Amino acid sequence: MSEQFVPEVLAPAGGLDKLKVAVLYGASAVYVGGQKFGLRTAADNFTLDELTEGVCFAHAHGSKVYVVLNSFLHDKDLSELPEFVAHLEAIKVDAVIVSDLGVVQTVRDLSTIPIHVSTQASTLNVEAAKLWKKMGATRIVLGREVSIKEAGIIKRQAGVEVELFIHGSMCMAYSGNCVISNFTQGRDSNRGGCAHSCRFEYSLDMGLDTEEKKKAFFMSSKDLEGLRVLPEFIKEEIDSLKIEGRMKSHLYAGTMSKVYSEALKYYAQNGNFLSDDLVSWEAELSKVSHRSYTKASLVEKADATSIFNERENSNENEWQMLGTVVEANAKAGIVIEVRNAFNQGDLLEIVPFLGPAILINANEIVDLLMRPLTRTKPTTLVRLPYREGVLAQHLIRQKVH
Amino acid sequence: MKITTYAQNLHDLNLIKDQGITEVILAHKNFARFGKLSTEEFISLSSRAHEFSLRVLFEWDILMTETTFQEVIQELPDLIKHVDVLRVQDPGALHWAIHHTDRPLQFIAENGNHNARALKEWIAHAPGRMERIILSIELSKAVIEEYVQTLTVPCELLGFGRILLFYTPRSLLSPLAPEKLIQNEEILALGESEESPHKGFPILENRHGTFMFHIKEFCLVEFSTELRDMGLQYFRVDLRWDKMEHLKILKSSIDNYKTEIFDTFKDEYAQDLMRGFYLVNKTDVLFPKLKNHRLQKREGHYLGEVMDAEKGSHLAISLKKDLRKSDKLKILHPKGKEFEVEIFSLRNLSLEDVDIVEAGSVALIQYMNGVWVKSQVFLA
Repeated sequence: MSEQFVPEVLAPAGGLDKLKVAVLYGASAVYVGGQKFGLRTAADNFTLDELTEGVCFAHAHGSKVYVVLNSFLHDKDLSELPEFVAHLEAIKVDAVIVSDLGVVQTVRDLSTIPIHVSTQASTLNVEAAKLWKKMGATRIVLGREVSIKEAGIIKRQAGVEVELFIHGSMCMAYSGNCVISNFTQGRDSNRGGCAHSCRFEYSLDMGLDTEEKKKAFFMSSKDLEGLRVLPEFIKEEIDSLKIEGRMKSHLYAGTMSKVYSEALKYYAQNGNFLSDDLVSWEAELSKVSHRSYTKASLVEKADATSIFNERENSNENEWQMLGTVVEANAKAGIVIEVRNAFNQGDLLEIVPFLGPAILINANEIVDLLMRPLTRTKPTTLVRLPYREGVLAQHLIRQKVH
Repeated sequence: MKITTYAQNLHDLNLIKDQGITEVILAHKNFARFGKLSTEEFISLSSRAHEFSLRVLFEWDILMTETTFQEVIQELPDLIKHVDVLRVQDPGALHWAIHHTDRPLQFIAENGNHNARALKEWIAHAPGRMERIILSIELSKAVIEEYVQTLTVPCELLGFGRILLFYTPRSLLSPLAPEKLIQNEEILALGESEESPHKGFPILENRHGTFMFHIKEFCLVEFSTELRDMGLQYFRVDLRWDKMEHLKILKSSIDNYKTEIFDTFKDEYAQDLMRGFYLVNKTDVLFPKLKNHRLQKREGHYLGEVMDAEKGSHLAISLKKDLRKSDKLKILHPKGKEFEVEIFSLRNLSLEDVDIVEAGSVALIQYMNGVWVKSQVFLA
């Protein structure tokens, strides 16, 4: 029997801590941004030292690191690129993600770093993939309008690796084809200044005298979720399954990395999914803040059901991240960096790197100096009694609604 | 500087011919974002254009997934023989056209492509076939001038017409439209949002998806002399949403700009006009304000961050580097105040006195008045 094809799980890492979380929770690769040249201007992003540390950490755990250079760079931006590319080559990043042909050529001139064409380039068909391959790309991050089946065709006919989004927020527009922010807010959306105008509520006048203006979030997309079509990704041998969200939380990075990597491992071992497992993974995905889910165009062309006609953050998530385990051993106990407060007696879920959540009743909380607490405060360190199996970097969550 | 423009019917074509314009863009409904011509209409119009000695440019500017791509190329052989030039935007269309046609090519580089290196590579990709590059309207005049003078093929720029802000293949209006509108080839709306000061964005849904335009139209007619002097070869006028009769005054203003005449035209024109980023593009100046400057100082001697502070007791620091009891520290408060600290108490999380705490762990040092959680710590 031939070996089961297993795609890469590519997770977002908005900062060094998130990179470590994603890697420890099973991501086979992460994508990160430096202080310039990416599309997430407001994310923490990585300093040069942090990039170096992040690459070392990821490689030590068998994961890859891709660095985004996917802004539509202007000439003056391009002139600043060579020094950064030289650094990326020196620290042995595994690829750069690029959307502009000028950047592709600059990277090719200066380095041997593999080039992935960003979804910002909206590569949608075999011919476009062939063109980018000729230009030097080794992988294409396909547009989110491409179905899994089409992605498979592109891979086979263009002879190039393909990457497809499987989870996360979606641009409603063809990526790279929205300049609302540029012209209405003076912020270049394709250089990291997107103001998310597509998430606004609009009043629409359709020119009918009798008609009241329709109020709708008509340009807002539901979030992508492709867990149930994972077998299709495998069947079409999609090389990399991308999770959107460099601006999102540690809990998001960890949960997504864990769920998709566990599901893929299970499929590789068993050749199928059991419905109970799917339900359990879906339950995990639902514990992270998200808009309503859609399969968008993964199987069929996205239709009206893919529109998220609701105000942002209208549904508070049932689950909240409480913090991260900083250290866990018999001497120190479980030391937690608290992000959101919890009370003595609360039921906490510690999310291990593998397997089901560890449930802990927070009956005995003490501060760093071992003084008892009845309620924790955000941005403090507290201790719980040590529990076997709990490790540093584990995330902690709690049901709040 | 030549004018290029669209014809949607014979009336348009006659007006174009009357103005002495030498080429026309025809948009077939299956290939062009805003195309309305059926194959029969296209062939007929193309034929008349040729009779008028107009060069026919075939606009193929939709973006296509593989399924759509395979559908549309079936029709191309019948159409291509009626056109002189292919104008493409999807890189897949460019690649296909290079290998399956012999027509000259024009590449629409209006999205991105804001550096000369990219534009030169697109030109080099179709040696001898690429006859024109259509530049982005986000470029400033200094950049346009540089490109016009350094690129090896002629450049075209939108000089008058709608500004496309948003293009999705999804049908966004029809789910909201009453039944009688859904049957139409196009659904139109004007949109406004309480979260934006701009009112009346034109929105259009057709077979290719949904498009939103700016409330103002783009106009560089006032700068036509300047553009001609800098060497721009093609100035595009797009009147598909207004009266094609405006072509006459636009043509005369572009050829010989007279402020009074054009000001009168602007006053009477249905839409407000804007020059966009023609004078300067500063769409990145706000970026430094979006950054958290505190987070950008993590290079060099950066040691870590204060995670817990207990008055009279300790500061807990997450360490990126080893910390020794002999080390001296500089602490940067989130509000910018700096503190210098000499360590006299160093403990690990088990509250043991130690001489060193290793990178990746948390160290407890003595409390220092005024230092808060999230303060950044550096080795002095």
